[in-house]
Amino acid sequence: MKLTLLKLAGGVMSVLAFADLGRAQTESLPALEPGQRGIAIHVGRAITLDGDDRTHQPGLVAAIDGRIVYVGRPSAVPAGYEVVERPQTWAVPGMIDLHAHIGSAGFGDLNDSVFSVGAELRSAPAIVPGNPLLRTACAAGVTTLFLIPGSGTSIGGFGTLFKTRTRTTFDRAVFANPGGMKVAQTHNPERRAGDVGATRAGLSWVLAEVNGRARAANAAGVEDFALSALQRVHRRELPVLIHCAGSDGTAAAVRMWKLQYDTHSVISHGSLGGHRVAAFAAAADMPVNHGPRTQDFFVSRTGAVEPSAFHYWKSGLPNFSLNTDSPVIPQHELLLQGTMSARQGVPSSQALRALTLHPARAFAIDHRLGSLEVGKDADVVLWSGDPLDPRSRVETVLIEGEIQYDRAVHGQWF
Amino acid sequence: MKLFASALLAIATALPSAAAQDVFALRVGRAETIGQGTLDHAVILVENGVITVVGQDLPVERGIPIIDLPDAVVMPGLINCRTRIGVDGRGGGGADIAARASAELYPRQDVWEELLATGTTTLGIYPPGNGIPGLAAAVRPAGDTVAAMVLKDPAYLQLYLRSDRGSKKLFTDAFEKLDKYLEKVAKEREKFDKDNEKSKDKDKDKDKDKDKDKDKDKDSKKNAPEFKPSQPDDDVRPVLDLITGRLRAVIGIRKAGDWLHLLDVMGERKFEFDLQCDLRDDLDLFYIAEEVGKRGLRVIFDPTIIQHPGTRRERSMPAEFAKAGAKLALSPRSDSVEAHRDWLNQVGELVRYGLDRQIALRAVTLEPAHVLGLGDKLGSIEAGRTANLVFFDRDPFDPARRLLGVMLDGRFVSGELLP
Amino acid sequence: MKIRNLITLLTAASLAALPLMPFARAQDEAPEGEAAPTEVDTEKDTYVAVVGADIYTGTGEVLRGATMLVRSGKIRRIGYDVFIPENARVVHAAGYRVYPGMVALSASTRITDGTLSADPWSAVEDAVHGRAVTDKVADELVEDWVEEWEGDFETAQAFDEAALRSSDSYDPFSSYLVLTLAAGITSVESSNLPIKLRRDKIEDVVMGDGGLVAFNWGGADARRTVRADFEKAAAYLREFRAWEAAGDKSVKEPSRRGVNSGALRVLKGEARPKFSADGANDLLGIARLAQTFGFRPVIDGCREGWIVADELGRAGVTAIVQPRERRAKDEMMVGPAGSSIENAAILHKAGVQVAVKAMNGNVDLSGIAGRDILALALDAGFAVRGGMSDAAALQSVTLVPARILGVDHRIGSLEIGKDADFLITDGDLLHYETHVQLAFVLGEVAYDKNAELYYAHIRPQPPIKITEGIPPAEETKAAEDGESDETKGAEKAGDDSEGKDPEPKPDEPAPKPDEPTPKPEEPEPKPDEPTPKPEEPEPKPDEPAPKPEEPPTHPS
Repeated sequence: MKLTLLKLAGGVMSVLAFADLGRAQTESLPALEPGQRGIAIHVGRAITLDGDDRTHQPGLVAAIDGRIVYVGRPSAVPAGYEVVERPQTWAVPGMIDLHAHIGSAGFGDLNDSVFSVGAELRSAPAIVPGNPLLRTACAAGVTTLFLIPGSGTSIGGFGTLFKTRTRTTFDRAVFANPGGMKVAQTHNPERRAGDVGATRAGLSWVLAEVNGRARAANAAGVEDFALSALQRVHRRELPVLIHCAGSDGTAAAVRMWKLQYDTHSVISHGSLGGHRVAAFAAAADMPVNHGPRTQDFFVSRTGAVEPSAFHYWKSGLPNFSLNTDSPVIPQHELLLQGTMSARQGVPSSQALRALTLHPARAFAIDHRLGSLEVGKDADVVLWSGDPLDPRSRVETVLIEGEIQYDRAVHGQWF
Repeated sequence: MKLFASALLAIATALPSAAAQDVFALRVGRAETIGQGTLDHAVILVENGVITVVGQDLPVERGIPIIDLPDAVVMPGLINCRTRIGVDGRGGGGADIAARASAELYPRQDVWEELLATGTTTLGIYPPGNGIPGLAAAVRPAGDTVAAMVLKDPAYLQLYLRSDRGSKKLFTDAFEKLDKYLEKVAKEREKFDKDNEKSKDKDKDKDKDKDKDKDKDKDSKKNAPEFKPSQPDDDVRPVLDLITGRLRAVIGIRKAGDWLHLLDVMGERKFEFDLQCDLRDDLDLFYIAEEVGKRGLRVIFDPTIIQHPGTRRERSMPAEFAKAGAKLALSPRSDSVEAHRDWLNQVGELVRYGLDRQIALRAVTLEPAHVLGLGDKLGSIEAGRTANLVFFDRDPFDPARRLLGVMLDGRFVSGELLP
Repeated sequence: MKIRNLITLLTAASLAALPLMPFARAQDEAPEGEAAPTEVDTEKDTYVAVVGADIYTGTGEVLRGATMLVRSGKIRRIGYDVFIPENARVVHAAGYRVYPGMVALSASTRITDGTLSADPWSAVEDAVHGRAVTDKVADELVEDWVEEWEGDFETAQAFDEAALRSSDSYDPFSSYLVLTLAAGITSVESSNLPIKLRRDKIEDVVMGDGGLVAFNWGGADARRTVRADFEKAAAYLREFRAWEAAGDKSVKEPSRRGVNSGALRVLKGEARPKFSADGANDLLGIARLAQTFGFRPVIDGCREGWIVADELGRAGVTAIVQPRERRAKDEMMVGPAGSSIENAAILHKAGVQVAVKAMNGNVDLSGIAGRDILALALDAGFAVRGGMSDAAALQSVTLVPARILGVDHRIGSLEIGKDADFLITDGDLLHYETHVQLAFVLGEVAYDKNAELYYAHIRPQPPIKITEGIPPAEETKAAEDGESDETKGAEKAGDDSEGKDPEPKPDEPAPKPDEPTPKPEEPEPKPDEPTPKPEEPEPKPDEPAPKPEEPPTHPS
């Protein structure tokens, strides 16, 4: 095998001599230090989603101790690397879903609805690492999830950014805890048992009140134990994911969390006609994480099946991304959200970014996730073809350079 | 006020005694006659509750009292051809072809007076229920007895056609029963003819002894039997009347597809019917406008503007069907006095939306009269028709209009013009 | 030109050689068993010619740049150098593809008789409204059927329910019907009846009685009953045939009392039995029953079929599967269990006829895309994900469902004599960016993407030109195209994904961000300006303000 590799390398080298590959990058893999673990994957095509949006055909992705050290054309692989040959596959960054509820592998453990604000709650204790839903998600190319509380209360709590390692402990798989805050602006947190929050006015007040207290504590330089994480949000240290819908709910979320509080925030859902305020969100530089509904008919009432995903993307707002709201849509069908967006007219390259780089950027975790670039986590998914085409399948999934799923070994899970 | 006073004076001087009330002339600023279009300075001669002469600027014979209403606009009394006002809202659920709505009438109710006060002078009360619920009656909202109220009973047969096997089977079953009855009658006729032949032969033999049996001859001729067919069952008679043209039908549908299933069920049979449909948003009825218009059918709608399916785009089904050539009848939006009061406002809105004005006027007068089978007696200001009239101080479709008076069978029964 | 002469020679030679060729390159032969289509055309015949498209017949063949001629709703010719009558309607489809219309199994009745409504209760209300009347009638109908079915109440009731819903409630104006056509589906199965999605009339929409008899296989009691029914029917049939053969009039005919008429029909070969079963053991039971009594069952569900695929193949099973459905393996089971994405592929390899059905028989406009009947092509794609070939996947939503319903002599593929139910698409039907541009049913346009509000603005394409007759300038061009394509010849395309044909669509993400796909027209979102329908009157200038927005419903 090494011989073929050398031959290949040689052949490629001669081609390289004449080809113009644009910006120069590391042309060889770094040698391994003692104690380091290196892996080098030969693929048919490496879709990097890097700054120049390069695709290497054929490609080589290499990582040391879980971080990518090389992405490019096939090159000499130093001794010690585990070499993985997948010449028929496409290497694509692992997908990221910013709105997932499968931490506890089911519909349970979603909402603690006694208080309308649960700012001190965390989703982490409910997470069952390596649960069957996470494993299937991994086998379908989804490598990072934002596992969050439900939308039953105005602030559900703080979610966990979590990798879908298939056999793991919490500590090995956690990316950030707390990873961000979950807010439900409208369309579910309405209170019906008689306390404040039965109306939009009430919901708005509930949010304004608790945020006001957190901001006051920040201004006074005081640490309120019950609001410590919320205070961090208002210091822009943690992102906020806001569940909202309708043009009114979506606009209200933009107004409150971006224009008024200037937090690091992301709209989530924005369905049921919310796409009609896409321009407003774009003007406010507000990213939108759209789904599970990606089209609308009855609310817009234009007679057309309105392609809301397309409208959001087209508005030019930053980092348009897609979600499943799993298990509303099963987590392993995140790709299908991209497929349906592309079907609506979003260019397939943009639809792919909506599943990878854009959610990473929206949550400011793109220093580690979202693309195949040197220095980032080696979360690499090897596909048999276009990931957005349901006819393609996942061959291999690596999280931080470690193979979590391999179709040849584990069978085809999805 | 001026008008009021002058009108009163006019009537007071014009009608000195009860007997003389049987003949009088009305001189109005404008008459929406329907049959003859809009007539300015119209003169209407009424004798014994019937209009005898209508014309423009006609001179009136000396001695006939004249009621001068130079600023008034008169139109035929409004006719709601399909309502259940004044009868039990719940009704029954039975599907009995022979059931009569007239059986539910209760004469002495305030609602009739209130209805008259809105200008509604004729009603078509239809029976409750689904399928083929029975026969409607045309009534006047006045009278101490049911007989006094009823103008025509039955006025039409009410049917509903839905796109499903059960509903269609009701229709086909009804026609099958009719066919069976007609077969039975045909057989009876055959038998009768055969028997007649036999008895004729017998008589012929007897004729040989003509002289002897002169008297018998005479008797046999006198007693020549007439063919009397057996009477149809109660549930067959209405269908028989339908096929023979003695009765009309109103067929209620809910969507465009129902029309195709109606054609399927009717097959080759021909009878007079009007289509009726409750208008609502997302209704797809426009698909059949052309076909219905081509056949010149009459449609009964409520005066509603609806939204094109799945959109907020507004469409006026009444206007579209009228434009396609259908005859249009419009009924108030609900069975309440308030709705009847608002009726002309709603129709006026349709006119502003593009419905032809004359068609709109016709839709609340002459066309509903035709639905009830009374199109030669009501619904138009023409000679020979009943003097049911409504007087306004301006254009009937103007929301600021004031109703001055209502005339029923040649007598003012409501409004300021009441003597 | 030398090439022209060569072509003429080839044409002549191939025409002469046609009767000798096992596979028709251009389909000029009548299907077996049927009289050859008459050459004499009556004056009432109408013609439609689809010209210049790549025709995917659905039997594994592709004819590129070919012509399909339709006569009065039936396919008359497919091939090159097809003579187009003067009065034909010509569809200029160069650059597009033609596919057979898809057949959707387990479709909801809402598609054929549903009224558009966001309110799920209005459908119920409509049903209830008619129910008061139809209950009484329904009982009478059941009595009629029971008489005809000689005491077999269950089968009678099943048939009756189907009949109650079928052609008598068909609504050609239904919005859901249009949306289903937009998805490329030209026929559906509802209550085991094959229904053609006609837009022009309500007659002749039910294509046959389906030829299926449903049997209840759920639970030990039900299975015991089915086995007993078949045994009894088989015994009766033996007796009857012996009595018939003996011809002795003095002996009384064997009694048919207590014999399940459905089972009898199956044993006589008049119908196929249909079961619903998912578990491996249940499937084995059906396979054994099939081999005992000699029938070829249809099994709806077949989730664990992949575990017992070989047995099912031997039993001649036809499976209706949903590739995406997931049921976790019961952890208590030692052997393999649960669902598998490879189910369709494994069954197919074992010789089982595989039909793919959608996740949901309904049209879902609530906002979640790709999980209802409109995603049928995607579901076929998921079967490919599991290892099925593209060609087999296409058949799983066209020819195989047609066979199940006994109407494959009419639909399911584009062959001479079959109904002209076909699609014109802007790409591979199984590719996610492909949209149906035109759908034809019996040679008439049943759906036009540009003419309907629903999808006109999504990935817009210029309208496909349809002319009455060939314009003179193009007659020569068409002839030339036909000739040049003759040299290419018809190919038997096996697996399209192997890259034999140049994909008109880029199937990889283009390496340029923020640049829309290079289609002729930039997709413009117009949420507030829908294309008006041609027959709509223009609203008057003083249009009232639009009605206020209804309060949105909560997301699930």
